[in-house]
Amino acid sequence: MIEAHLPVERLSVILGEIKEVKVTKRGERRTRVDVGADALPALLELLKGRAGFVHLSAISCVDWPDDDQFELVYHLWSYELNLLVSAHTRIAREPGVYVSVYDIYHPAGFFERDIHEMFGVFFEGAPDMEKFILTEWDGPPPMRKEFDSEAWVDEHFDWQDYRPDWLVDLEEQGGGVAIPPDEQRFSRRSEDEG
Amino acid sequence: MSEPKQFPVKLEQPGHRETGGGNIFSKVFDELTAFCRSRSMFILHYCTGCGAIELPPAMTSRFDMERLGVSPMVSPRQADILLITGYVSVKTLKRVMLTYEQMASPKYVIGICSCTVNGGMYWQSYATAKKLNDYMPVDLYIAGCMPRPEAVITGLRELMEKIRKGDAVGWQDYYRRYDHYLGNQQRLFGDTWQTPTNVVAEARHYGLFGNETTGEHTELLKQHQEPLEALDMSLGLTDKAGVES
Repeated sequence: MIEAHLPVERLSVILGEIKEVKVTKRGERRTRVDVGADALPALLELLKGRAGFVHLSAISCVDWPDDDQFELVYHLWSYELNLLVSAHTRIAREPGVYVSVYDIYHPAGFFERDIHEMFGVFFEGAPDMEKFILTEWDGPPPMRKEFDSEAWVDEHFDWQDYRPDWLVDLEEQGGGVAIPPDEQRFSRRSEDEG
Repeated sequence: MSEPKQFPVKLEQPGHRETGGGNIFSKVFDELTAFCRSRSMFILHYCTGCGAIELPPAMTSRFDMERLGVSPMVSPRQADILLITGYVSVKTLKRVMLTYEQMASPKYVIGICSCTVNGGMYWQSYATAKKLNDYMPVDLYIAGCMPRPEAVITGLRELMEKIRKGDAVGWQDYYRRYDHYLGNQQRLFGDTWQTPTNVVAEARHYGLFGNETTGEHTELLKQHQEPLEALDMSLGLTDKAGVES
């Protein structure tokens, strides 16, 4: 095939080579690429090898419990094009297993390890899937939507006593706190329920 | 010349102050000690969270904490004040507990920023401790997000005043009600939580062993406690014969 001379043209040629890819131009320097889970490693390989996207800035994970899916977003930066490509792909929430791209981008090792402990997604072929930041945490992966942080907090911590003597004195004089913290704290939840 | 035992001054045991043998000098000595103590304080140079950013201006020429006799200290063994300057994550709290127990008595804890009071903006977070005085006795809270150096210095002056009056006795509470504090630590860190410090023995040493020093939680600690072993001090170097030195 013919290599295009300009890097931008090269990018469009590369994106044309991948099947079932949806390219959306989000801005001057931002391009969103939606790609199937099977084709993503090949896309990254091409972007790195042929279009100069040498910098994987981050991998994000988004939990979509209603769709029963995790969305993985690979943020790639090219110093030649000054362009950010975010490659989006979706994987099934159960069993939540995907392939590691450590052999293409070594920094991916850290991001995948982080996602593993925060969301429980397992990356096959990653060099290390041990705990990273939450080394002393033995609860469920805390960034999953079904993890109720507030309930966990209620179970493990006591709240500060908000009715000290000086506040009682103030209330006797007709002052005090307009909305008690207990009502403020759970206001959002009761809105959701109602 | 009078014999020294006519002055039964027991500095570390304020509980015995009333039984000073009717010697008026004992109280004078206590007051003098408390005054001197309040004028020479070392803050442990250990900061958590974001409030630490207010300490450099408080320490240096702009606000000059040292004119109050307060200065930073690198080692917990030689520090008087443990300044908790912001949110304490559960992992950090373990280190803070170790640090606190290493400090020599009398020791004082100041909680700075909203996060140490009630969790602050992290009230909903699974990772940060909400109420610092559940885990260690806090002598003074300085609220704010975050408090300005003026507030920090006002807080320190308040603490100095408390020490001078003999009100800053949180460290004694830790010994007297160790079971309560240990229970809260175990609730958060798990049943196997232990520190290298034998707090119960220290409580006996200071004469602060009370009814609540031991209890169900210290019993639980005893079940899991492993004796401390000396650290392996080898450098891992090998000489020519291949023998580890």
